[in-house]
Amino acid sequence: MTSPRNVTYRAAVLEALFGEMRRDNSVILMGEDIGAAGGVFKQTEGLFDAFGAERVIDTPISEAGAFGIAVGAAMTGQRPVFEVMFGDFITLIMDQLVNQAAKINYMSAGQFNVPLVVRTAVGVGSNLGPQHSQSLHAWITHVPGLKVVMPSTPTDAKGLMAAAIRDNNPVVFFEDRMLYNRRDPVPDGDYVVPIGSAEVKRVGGDVTIIATGRMVHTALAAAELLAQQEISAEVVDPRSLVPLDVKSLVESVKKTSRAVVVDGGYRQYGITGEIATSVTEHAFDWLDAPVIRIGGADVPIPFSKTLELLTLPNAERLAHEAAALVRGQR
Amino acid sequence: MTTTPLDRRTSLSIFERMLMIRHFEEAVIQLYKQGRFVSHYHIYIGQEATGSAVLEALGEKDLICTTHRNHGHIIGRGCDPNRAMAEILGRATGFNGGRGGTLHISDPSRGFLSTSAVVGGCGGLATGAAFGLKVKREPHVAVGFFGDGSLEEGLVIESFNIAALWKLPVVYVCENNSAGAAGPQQGGYPTAITATDSFTRLPAAYGIHCLKVDGIDISAVHAAASEAVQRCQSGNGPVFIEAFTTRWPGSSPLWPELATVTDLEAAWDSTRIGGPHANWSRHHDPLLRAARELVAAGFATRDELMVRDKDARGRIAAAAKFAVDSPTPVPSTVGDHVFA
Amino acid sequence: MTAPSQKASTSSVQLNLTATEGLRLLRSMQLIRTFEDEVRTLYSGGIIPGLVHLCTGQEAVAVGVCSLLNSRDMIASNHRGHGHCLAKGADVNRMMAEVMGRRTGYGMGRGGTLHIFDAANGNLGTNGIVGGGIPLAAGAALSAKRRGRGEVAACFFGDGALNQGLLSEVMNMAAIWRLPALFVCENNGFGEFTAIGDVTAGPDPIARGLAFGIPSETVDGMDVLAVRTAAQRAIDRARSGRGPSFLVCMTYRYGGHHVGDKQDYKDSAEAKAWRLKDPIERLDRWLKETDLATAEAIDALKNGVEDEVRAAIGLAKTAPFPNASDLGAHLYD
Repeated sequence: MTSPRNVTYRAAVLEALFGEMRRDNSVILMGEDIGAAGGVFKQTEGLFDAFGAERVIDTPISEAGAFGIAVGAAMTGQRPVFEVMFGDFITLIMDQLVNQAAKINYMSAGQFNVPLVVRTAVGVGSNLGPQHSQSLHAWITHVPGLKVVMPSTPTDAKGLMAAAIRDNNPVVFFEDRMLYNRRDPVPDGDYVVPIGSAEVKRVGGDVTIIATGRMVHTALAAAELLAQQEISAEVVDPRSLVPLDVKSLVESVKKTSRAVVVDGGYRQYGITGEIATSVTEHAFDWLDAPVIRIGGADVPIPFSKTLELLTLPNAERLAHEAAALVRGQR
Repeated sequence: MTTTPLDRRTSLSIFERMLMIRHFEEAVIQLYKQGRFVSHYHIYIGQEATGSAVLEALGEKDLICTTHRNHGHIIGRGCDPNRAMAEILGRATGFNGGRGGTLHISDPSRGFLSTSAVVGGCGGLATGAAFGLKVKREPHVAVGFFGDGSLEEGLVIESFNIAALWKLPVVYVCENNSAGAAGPQQGGYPTAITATDSFTRLPAAYGIHCLKVDGIDISAVHAAASEAVQRCQSGNGPVFIEAFTTRWPGSSPLWPELATVTDLEAAWDSTRIGGPHANWSRHHDPLLRAARELVAAGFATRDELMVRDKDARGRIAAAAKFAVDSPTPVPSTVGDHVFA
Repeated sequence: MTAPSQKASTSSVQLNLTATEGLRLLRSMQLIRTFEDEVRTLYSGGIIPGLVHLCTGQEAVAVGVCSLLNSRDMIASNHRGHGHCLAKGADVNRMMAEVMGRRTGYGMGRGGTLHIFDAANGNLGTNGIVGGGIPLAAGAALSAKRRGRGEVAACFFGDGALNQGLLSEVMNMAAIWRLPALFVCENNGFGEFTAIGDVTAGPDPIARGLAFGIPSETVDGMDVLAVRTAAQRAIDRARSGRGPSFLVCMTYRYGGHHVGDKQDYKDSAEAKAWRLKDPIERLDRWLKETDLATAEAIDALKNGVEDEVRAAIGLAKTAPFPNASDLGAHLYD
């Protein structure tokens, strides 16, 4: 393995796809405009030329039917990576995802399993409006039988995509369009990040910030702001939402005694509620204050620039909340 | 289907709508290039004849559903271009208060329901609107404008079944702009991925009355729309109109590209046609064709059309200015209208 | 809905049918009939929990199609699926146990009638979602196409599923991609308690397949030999890479949508007319008339079936229920 090179998030996922498709002939891609067009965000560029129409399949705008076909194909020897163009459209595949894919291994007592990946891009910030900006990952984490990952860096994206494809269960891979151009050192060649393993992205001692997806970078920016106030924040990235590496999160909180959880989806009944409660259940006696949770605003995400930005947690607000927590004001 | 020629008044009315749409869309592209708004957007150039001629056949109280490619229907219906442009720029004065943007423009006061940008959504909403009209025994119709891609969504097919079963007064206008499109196999943007050799087979399988028209022939489109509306009003159930247009080349890349601004005089002076889209302008541009037809029919002189053209440009320029000068939404209003 | 005209299998349909095959078809249908009759009794006696949807009367469709498939061909079934499972070779003991919620069943008793999977026999499962199995079969057909060994996949669904958008989406893709798939609609005239005419628009269900250029035909679903002949054409087409087919099999369920359904919506004269076309009696008569089987052989066959089913019930009644530690098993692979 050569030393890491700087690669974009988009390219890192592509590396994983290329690698897995070369390694395993049963891996196929399905989605809209992913073939000759290379994806509306160029996220599948080059794959059609490399692997052809048999393995890189452009589907009609029939998400429900096409995903159901992916499920049937997964039950019978293929390993599909099914792309849902915008995270909002996961609603269109819900029946096949929830009532079929998630439950087939269980219902059949292991006779059939469903080794597929649903890949979808979320990401507030391009003014695409209420039906093209949501991240509904909280819904998906709620269904037993699915695994859910949300990489925040190019390295994690590459490693988790490889892991997702190799996993024999349905894995839903949430990537953020706004991270596509983010460049970081990424290991060359075969690289896997185990599903269910969190990572400390920044070591600190005064407060734990647990952040998902793009919010990891918001948290890191907040940590810089906090450092200027001489508050040392530890940023922990769960990387996988299901299974959740509660042990690592708790380990951090036991060290700092304070926690803020931040996630980009709607706040109500969301990811932050689950994580905050898990942490509290395991680390109550170590906490000096309630766990704070910060999520996206509970409104449909509006188109207009000024309004859109309001709906997403930002570094200033996060730093403000964390500082207040540390100062005993919460 | 034989077509009675349109009268002067109707022809000019349709042409006006088309002029407004064309200039509006060109202004949208220019504003985008100037960085006045962000977002992905979809342009109606090339389809103006279809939208305008159908809208001409509708009454004030008829209901309309459209899709992500809605600008033409909004402007063609006569909705305020100021507010439409403001919405695209995300301003507080926009039809949706800046919350929807280009993908969701809707003017309920002129009969628009919510505009869905999820492909297929329009089919369901238009059918539902028709159901409401029938239940309330109102003598109006609902129209759903959508593209050929929508027929790939199961929801639209389910809607066909129900509309036919309950004889709902809905006109489905399928704007097939895939003819000439590059398509997924050629690396261009999307064309229908379908096994059918003719889209009308799909609604016909549900017993829906189908019509096919040349989408750039305003007389033909108007005749089809009028027939459809009448059928619906007589309680005979839904109608499906497939209107064919050759896709405007500027829509083939992911982001719309305006190679040349429309020069109406090119309608009768083909030396004025140039640029990479010249072939399309010459053979498939509905606006130039309509201008030629109006002059040939003696409904207007070239000069009269140029006056209307200038007038339309003026109104659109004013709309652009209105939009640019409009305030952005007040942050504290972000939570408004989450619930009624 | 009126019954199809009397096109008895006793009319001169020259089929390449051996005595062995003829008896196999009869046994397969009788097995389904007996199984369903016993399940009805068990259910009414409170021994089977939940709801059961029986296919009594529709046996010819499952058997007509599945008799031509091998264990590597796949099927996907629906809520009225016991017949499809049995016709595809399911073990009667494991099926009875599953329906009774016992640990020895195909799903450890956790799936029940609506979720019977049988991987060894190429069965992608019965399904509780109307139309849910349709894309699964098409996906299996996609896999089969990739393998290139000539395998096919069939889905069974009722007339109620005709109005699921999913069917249209999947038919389109099966046609574009020339998938080796069979779409088999068991048109019994009712979607739950509603007559087909009240919910299904259009000139004829086969128009929905024809719209995509899929060869589609209406078949007498009460005649196992007619179903078999049509299925053979469809299977040949699929195996040779010429893509999908759509069969609308006209049939009738003697029972209700589920056991306990009072069936007030049925017309009794119509129901009687359908029973005159009973597929088992029909084949029974035909086999005797063509000297392919004797009355004694057929009686022995039926007795054998009864024994088999009764044994399965006996086994299932004494089988253990799943226990608490089975609750989370196989959540993930």
